[in-house]
Amino acid sequence: MDELELLKKDWQSTSHKTEQIYTSKEIYPMLLKKSSSIVKTLFYISIGELLLWVLINSIPYFSSEKFRAELETMYGNSTILLVITIFSYAIILAFVYLLYKSYKTISVTDTAKQLMESILKTRKIVKYYVIYNLVIAFLSMAFGFYYTIYENPIVSQQFADFSSKQMFVALMIMIFFTAIFILVIWLVYRLIYGILLKRLNRNYKELKKLEV
Amino acid sequence: MNKELEHSFVELLEKHQNIVHKVCRLYTNNQDAHNDLFQEITIQLWKAYPKFRGDAKFSTWMYRVGLNTAITLYRKSKRTIKTQEFETVSFKIKSVEYDDTEEQQLKLLYKAVHQLNDIEKALVLLYLEDKNYREISETLGISEVNARVKMNRVKKKLKTILNP
Repeated sequence: MDELELLKKDWQSTSHKTEQIYTSKEIYPMLLKKSSSIVKTLFYISIGELLLWVLINSIPYFSSEKFRAELETMYGNSTILLVITIFSYAIILAFVYLLYKSYKTISVTDTAKQLMESILKTRKIVKYYVIYNLVIAFLSMAFGFYYTIYENPIVSQQFADFSSKQMFVALMIMIFFTAIFILVIWLVYRLIYGILLKRLNRNYKELKKLEV
Repeated sequence: MNKELEHSFVELLEKHQNIVHKVCRLYTNNQDAHNDLFQEITIQLWKAYPKFRGDAKFSTWMYRVGLNTAITLYRKSKRTIKTQEFETVSFKIKSVEYDDTEEQQLKLLYKAVHQLNDIEKALVLLYLEDKNYREISETLGISEVNARVKMNRVKKKLKTILNP
């Protein structure tokens, strides 16, 4: 007899003998418990990431008068800063909208493959958001350095006295710290999602492999 | 959610709970994990219930939600012991002399099924439940042909595990 047929016979004959039969009284409290699914975790992480970047971008500006004053000295009263601020908040809102839309499409009643795809798509939106922030962080650091060197009277005086060798070392230090900053964020990001979605990725690959 | 909805859901789940237990039995190794997965599937079923139209059979719908939760959504809390348990299982399979009695054979079969990956387990579960390839393909989101091909491979894999 085919092994699987034997298993089927047994499976169906013992199907009523399950480990523990819950009564309706026991089921009611289960409905009130909180889910610990990866979608929920992913949702909290996305919210966390959105807030984190908003905080990173705004805390220094709002918390320190001196910093704000310095920024104004460096950039002047140009409308560029205002435009950049409006633009960056518009981008955040756009990501919030995309995330919300994406979460709405995740449905546990889809096929296994569709469900995995919609979860991965949601994660991708968060990924783009992080990439966007890393690029912005990199650009603002580069511009920040540029303006500090050329527009900040004290620093620009110091730099003017630098020899070309000192200038090179200063530049290398700046590039090094920028790279470390971006690398650390990227690693943390990979770690969080790597652990969270390891199983999902493995199963998704398995399903995709079947289609080839 | 209104009380009436809650009541009808609990009634249905109580009646068909063996489906959820079967999914848990296949995807977990101990009672704690079993209860944990049962709890999570119940939450997912309840969350999806208001959208349940009734055009599909409740049991078919339960299989889909149950498997999706087990394969995709569920986060195991006790992952660490998994590998060790698998090693012990495969050791036992190799060392126990192949007994022809059905009971012994079944014991080995269940252990062998536990060694399959998540997708293969889903195929076996649906097969054991006598679902046809159309239903299997609709649950997993793969074509009927691929479901059939994969099922044959799983059968071969099980044979290899049982007769190394």
